[in-house]
Amino acid sequence: MAITTINNRAINRADTAASGESWTATSATASDFQAAGANTPAFHAYLGSNQTSISGNVNVKVSIDTEILDTDSNFASNRFTPTTAGKYFIYANIVAEFDTDKLFIIRPKIYKNGSVVVAADSDFADNSISMMSAYVSTIVDMNGSSDYVEFYTKIDRYGGGTTTGTFYGGSEQKSYFGGYKLIT
Amino acid sequence: MAQLSTKIKLYANQEVDFSKDVILQDDSNGKGAYIKEWNLSIAKPTDVQLASYETAGNAEEALQTILNTRARAYPTWQDQMDMQYKDLLNGTTTWKDAVAKVKLDNPKENNE
Repeated sequence: MAITTINNRAINRADTAASGESWTATSATASDFQAAGANTPAFHAYLGSNQTSISGNVNVKVSIDTEILDTDSNFASNRFTPTTAGKYFIYANIVAEFDTDKLFIIRPKIYKNGSVVVAADSDFADNSISMMSAYVSTIVDMNGSSDYVEFYTKIDRYGGGTTTGTFYGGSEQKSYFGGYKLIT
Repeated sequence: MAQLSTKIKLYANQEVDFSKDVILQDDSNGKGAYIKEWNLSIAKPTDVQLASYETAGNAEEALQTILNTRARAYPTWQDQMDMQYKDLLNGTTTWKDAVAKVKLDNPKENNE
């Protein structure tokens, strides 16, 4: 039951109680005070252990393998395929290094159906660093059937060389991937 | 094994922007990196063509590794300027000796 009157006065969301006036809601349930809908499906997972041997200049799928939340079992094999259509807030974070003190680019990207929908970009040129955390997020339209999102990241070492990089994982959730349906 | 990006740079024989010119991808499925997009004007290389750059790629990466090691080992540019200033004042060769030691400790194949 939606609340439309209080103390016999028609109200809407913009109304406020007048000075000295006290509003008392009766016969209301919790749902009367909530927006319609729920933020599900939702998921949050992280990289359980370090992902090593990351080649430079390659968009590498982050092997997000440890689930914290997966309300509708829509997350599997590093991929979120929601079974409800709508707009989703999708976020991801990566912590990476390349050799010692030589990380110079880090570009986390969220892919939808195999194509980039959002990317963050840091480039330190020859002022390369040891390790960096990078975050990316966006809102994605999902059809509730075949649409899916994945998390990739590209890193590189300044000057090239034989070494490879590492995506950092572990229980501290340094690298993670998540999302939830927006109430619209 | 030389990295795919190294072999592509050698094949293209030009600067390659791996954000625009060539997009590489690895789906973490055990199959390794591959060319997802090729936007250079020259033809996309075949696997055989790329494989032919393995030896040259390894040599290039080994050279870059040496250069990277040297870059870390050299004194900071501030210290090098200070060395040069003192060498001019005192007639010493500390700067030249410091640079030479880094090169000697990390030689290229041609001992350059």
